[in-house]
Amino acid sequence: MNRSQWQDHRWHLIHTQAQSPVLHMALDDVMLDDVANGVRPPTLRIWEWAGPAVVMGRFQSLRNEVDAQAAQDHGIEVVRRISGGGAMFIEPGNTITYSIVAPVSLVAGMTFEQAYEFMDQWVIQALAGLGIKAWYQPLNDITSEAGKIAGAAQARRRGAVLHHVTMAYDIDAAKMLQVLRVGREKLSDKGTASAAKRVDPLRSQTGLPRAQVIKHMIETFRQRHGGLVADTLGADELARAQTLARERFATPEWTALLP
Amino acid sequence: MNTTNTPAHGEYKIPGGKLVVVDLSVADGRIAAVQVSGDFFLEPASALDDIDAALKGLPVSASQEHLATAVTAALDPDTQMFGISAEGVALAVRRALASVASEDQEATP
Repeated sequence: MNRSQWQDHRWHLIHTQAQSPVLHMALDDVMLDDVANGVRPPTLRIWEWAGPAVVMGRFQSLRNEVDAQAAQDHGIEVVRRISGGGAMFIEPGNTITYSIVAPVSLVAGMTFEQAYEFMDQWVIQALAGLGIKAWYQPLNDITSEAGKIAGAAQARRRGAVLHHVTMAYDIDAAKMLQVLRVGREKLSDKGTASAAKRVDPLRSQTGLPRAQVIKHMIETFRQRHGGLVADTLGADELARAQTLARERFATPEWTALLP
Repeated sequence: MNTTNTPAHGEYKIPGGKLVVVDLSVADGRIAAVQVSGDFFLEPASALDDIDAALKGLPVSASQEHLATAVTAALDPDTQMFGISAEGVALAVRRALASVASEDQEATP
C-alpha cells in the first residue's frame, strides 16, 4: 500500500456539544466503520464529556482496574472502549480528548510504534506553540519535563485506523487514585512511586483556559495538514451510534467483557 | 494433588512495554480457566481469545518457555502485538502459578 500524506486528505472537524461516555465509545466505532467504507471523510473529532467516566482499555479486566464501589460513590460511569491501552479517568472540563479517524494508508509501512508517534506530531507542535516542550514517549505517551501529558490508543479495522488520545488538562489526582487501581507492578519500570506524580496537566503548564488550548490545537492541525472543514454528525450516523451505545457499549456484557 | 479450583493472579510489566495480568484457576494439576488482561494492544482483538485458549489445559509445571511456545503457536502469523509478547504472557502465568504453589506449601504442615 502506498503511503498517503496528511495533505492528501480533506480533513473534517467534528466538535459538538457534550455527549455521554457510552455515545463517545459508539461514535468511535461507527466513524471507524464509515471511514473504512469510504462514506465519511478522514476526521478529527474533539470530544466534550457530559459526565465523569472511567474509560477502560479493550483488554483490561474490570475488577483489576476499577474500584466499582468508589466509582459508584462518585457517580462515575465505567465504560470500555474498542482500543487497547490503559484506563483513563475523565471529568468534564478536566481532559482534552480527541479521535483521528483516517485511512490506514496514512501510516502504511510504519511499525505500530512509528504510527503512534506520527499521528500525534501535530500535537507536539501545538504544545510547542503554547510553550510546552513535549515529546513522544513510546509506546503511547505524550510527555514533558514535568510529567506525562497524554496517552494514546489505536484500533484498526479493514482500511481505517482510529487514533484517540486523552490529555490531562486538570486532574483530581486523589479522586483518580480512589477509582483506578494502579498496582506497583505497573509502575515497576517507570522510576516513579505513584500514578499521580506521573501526570502533569496542561492547565498548570499553560495557564490557559481549556477552550483556548483546544482552539490552538485545532488551528495547528488546520495549518499543518492543509485545512480542516467544519462538519457535523449526520442524522443517520448519530442514530447508528445511539443504537450501538444502547445495545453494546452500555451493556454489562461489554463493560465486564473481561471481568 | 489439588482437585479443587484454586484461583491465582500474576502480573508482569514488560520492560518498555505494557502490563500483562493473568487470572487463572488450577484443577488437577492443570490450568483450568485463564484470563489474560492488561493495557497492551492487540490486532485483531480476537487474538486474546486464542491466547487464553492456548494456555488452558497446560500443566502447572509448564516452563515459561513451554508456555510462550504454546501462545506463539496459537496466534495467527498476522497478529500484531504491541506492548505484549508471548514471553511476557508466559512470565505472568508463571508468577500466577508460583503463587498457587506457595499457598499449597503453606497449607502443608
